[in-house]
Amino acid sequence: MTHRYIKLGLTAGVLVLAFAGLLWSTLQDGTEYFKHVDEVMVNPQAWEGKPLQLHGYVIPGSILKRQDTLEYKFKVQNNPIRDVNQGHVVEVSYTGIVPDTFKGEAEVVLRGKLTTNGFHTDPGGVTAKCPSKYEAQARASAPGT
Amino acid sequence: MASLGTFLLLAAFVTCSYSAVISVAGARRRSRRLIESGIGAFYLICAIMTAATAVLINAFLTGDFSIKYVAHNSDSVQPLFYKLTSYWGGLDGSIMFWVFLLSIFGSLAVYVNRERHRELIPYVVATISVVNMFFLFLMVIHKNPFTTYLTQVPADGEGLNPLLQNAYMAIHPPSLYTGFVGMTIPFAFGIAALITGHLDDSWLRAVRRWTMFSWLFLSFGLILGMIWAYEELGWGGYWAWDPVENAALLPWFTATAFLHSVMVQERRSMLRVWNVTLVIVTYFLTIFGTFMTRSGVVQSVHAFGDDPILARLFIGFMVIILTFSFGLVIWRLPLLKARNELDSWLSREAAFLVNNWVMLFAALFVLFGTMFPTLSEAVTGTRLTVAGAFFNKWMTPVGLVLLMLTGVGPLLAWRRSSFDKIAPQFLWPGLSGLVALAIAALYFKIPVWPSGLCFGLCGFVAGTIVQEFWKGAAIRSRNSGTDLLTALVGLVGKNKRRYGGYIVHVGITLICFGFAGNARKLDEQVLLKPGQETKIGKYTIKSNGVKVADDGQKQMTTAYLTVFVDGKEIDGLYPAKWAYRRHEQEPTTEVAIRRTPVEDLYAVLGGFDLADQSVTLQLVVNPLVNWVWFGFGIMALGTGIALLPERSFAFALAKMPAEAAATTVALLCVLLLSGTSLSAQSNMGGDMNTRTSFYARTPFEKEMQHEIVCTCGACGHQTIAECRKDPCATSHEMRGQLAAMIDSGVHDKDQIIQAFIAKYGTEEMLGAPVDRGFSRLAWLLPYVVGASSAVAIGFAAVKWSRKPDEAAVTAPAAIDSALEERIDDELRDLD
Repeated sequence: MTHRYIKLGLTAGVLVLAFAGLLWSTLQDGTEYFKHVDEVMVNPQAWEGKPLQLHGYVIPGSILKRQDTLEYKFKVQNNPIRDVNQGHVVEVSYTGIVPDTFKGEAEVVLRGKLTTNGFHTDPGGVTAKCPSKYEAQARASAPGT
Repeated sequence: MASLGTFLLLAAFVTCSYSAVISVAGARRRSRRLIESGIGAFYLICAIMTAATAVLINAFLTGDFSIKYVAHNSDSVQPLFYKLTSYWGGLDGSIMFWVFLLSIFGSLAVYVNRERHRELIPYVVATISVVNMFFLFLMVIHKNPFTTYLTQVPADGEGLNPLLQNAYMAIHPPSLYTGFVGMTIPFAFGIAALITGHLDDSWLRAVRRWTMFSWLFLSFGLILGMIWAYEELGWGGYWAWDPVENAALLPWFTATAFLHSVMVQERRSMLRVWNVTLVIVTYFLTIFGTFMTRSGVVQSVHAFGDDPILARLFIGFMVIILTFSFGLVIWRLPLLKARNELDSWLSREAAFLVNNWVMLFAALFVLFGTMFPTLSEAVTGTRLTVAGAFFNKWMTPVGLVLLMLTGVGPLLAWRRSSFDKIAPQFLWPGLSGLVALAIAALYFKIPVWPSGLCFGLCGFVAGTIVQEFWKGAAIRSRNSGTDLLTALVGLVGKNKRRYGGYIVHVGITLICFGFAGNARKLDEQVLLKPGQETKIGKYTIKSNGVKVADDGQKQMTTAYLTVFVDGKEIDGLYPAKWAYRRHEQEPTTEVAIRRTPVEDLYAVLGGFDLADQSVTLQLVVNPLVNWVWFGFGIMALGTGIALLPERSFAFALAKMPAEAAATTVALLCVLLLSGTSLSAQSNMGGDMNTRTSFYARTPFEKEMQHEIVCTCGACGHQTIAECRKDPCATSHEMRGQLAAMIDSGVHDKDQIIQAFIAKYGTEEMLGAPVDRGFSRLAWLLPYVVGASSAVAIGFAAVKWSRKPDEAAVTAPAAIDSALEERIDDELRDLD
């Protein structure tokens, strides 16, 4: 009887270890840090190259679009635009279609990586929250969500 | 009307408590009369909820905007259809809809089974009544859909969210709810079986159909959500592993596992603990899913607001479910011993067992992934999110294993097989799988992992199912002397469950076939000027510019695209953006889709420039996507066949799902064939004059704005966050004071409240009584009453169910006095 339990225990142990190992290895490249602009820009070097989801607010008037392309450059700050102090600001580059709700003052979450010359957003990595008054089901429309 | 609604909810709550107590008492005293009375009260709940539903729908139809829920979720110009569906458009109403459905399903289940499972019925009634009590309690104290504006009633409502004004979205929530709520019935029967100790297989027979029925609607709800995401949101896909999607998927996994393992118990009397556990877990996951999406625990793009009170109530309820149910399971473990052991790993029951483990693993994994951001924040303090890629990486192999088991299971015999015996069984399915894999990999050059393998496995499963049908029909035709086709129909009619199940497998295979098409998905974003062309896959797309039209309701900007294949013009695509009057900030995306069985060409108008007529387009080629929808149609057909009663008209009610399934198929076929996207938006009201100053800039300021009530006297005690009508000078001033205080560095809630009390001299402007001293009683009272009535009910149920000679009088008045005494005691203690 004890023999059987040892066998069972060993099998379970091996399975659990294998599972934990696999989970660990996939979590390594499957996860992204969810950060606010301030948290990252206090020490930008530490975050360069890491997969990030960056939360901030688009500064009105900062959105630039290159003529006849889908290349965008804009600035994002930590605090809502109406706030007294704006917090840190980061320059963002993006190529692709932006959601309808993406405009000055919009609350955005950007998926991408920080580089020495600003935040580089992945394709389809712009998610803008609706400035919606609906308490529920106000789904942010974004390519890739 | 609103007070009638609230009254009906309270009446339903009281009736539920009565029915719970009297049923338990009746069961323990073996009194037929008490049990009948409990059942009667149970039917009465259904009647009361129907009346309450009628009141709410009437309020929507007549536009009674004095009811907040009606004002928030509809407006006067909304079409009739969406006025009706606004019933479940928000949280309050959807909880009420939940109770309404549960009371109907409960009554049906009790009515159908009242003779056959007489010993279980009182506890089924009690369980469902207690569940109903929880939701009714939630509504009455926290989310009452009949809450009214006290004085100034808005002239018009805010309208239902434009994204929800879509035919799919109108039927998607009720379908999901039907699935979720239906899972309560198996749970109630499981609990009843555990309490009474009647743990033979009879309770399983009672719930099998219910589980199948709920499972069908859960699947239907999931598919509708996918179609909606595909056609309405316009990002080119249909599944994104969003927490809200995952919440609905979790019980689907465990319910599917249960539908399989139940067969093992019926055949071999094994897995008895497991089956009860699956029923409990499935029910728990339906509640957990609701909790997860509605409480703000998980961040989602669906952005359902934070609601800590709701979260706490749900946590309490979930803890009770888990301790109570698993306590019962542990107590009844001796009765749940398996009568047989697994003879061999090469047997059908072993295949079912593996299938169950994989299903459960899938459920746990999705749960883990969904909760991961919350977990990581709790453990490490840093919020880590997992992307869809993480789920795909894990769920792809899980899905492939399940697909393989779909093909392997039917080929294995019960109890034990030997390799010699099964080798010929595997010959044809194996060959068809290999051929499919070879065609995919060599001819279509699809990578073997994972899509090629998926095609191969689809071939294998298809081979298995065809072989099963062929063999069965051949034997039947030989024995009965009929032709093959008649034999086939007879075969399915004779073993509806088995062959219905196989047809469901065909549907699943087709859905996987559709998923595998993702390997060849193309996705491009381009900017085109009039006359310019772009190529995607075999298609050449030429832009002819944009046109703006206005139909009085909305401004429609449409891109005119021509599609060429090999230089021949084959079609035109007209993706658009519609900006509704008064909703110009939220334009809706009208996707243009060219559907074929092979692939969809999908075009989204991402942006446009009227000056030079250039358009920004997202173009997607989605191979095989229509097979996912079609596969569901087949799945529904199979479930319908499995649900058909063994003896026709044995009980007419159980026949309903079959017809529902047929309707479903018909509906899906119509949707597929029409080839048009059903876009049913309409003009909605909603006022934009909420643009006065001092919007909350921080969560703290927002919280405070919701704490303080405007003193203008005209708005009917709205908070200063809400009172922005006409613009209101008083609330404007108050918001200004609040902002100034916060700017000056006051970040203490009490300090701000004290300052406001000092300035205005009363507590009048507090949105809620201060949670301190005597005022705390106001906070505690509803909870105390709720909790003590629950205790009192339990107490009464036990006391009243002693043997007749021990018990006191049985007049209902005595219950009231016992309850009142108890509540009195509790309240006195508080003071």
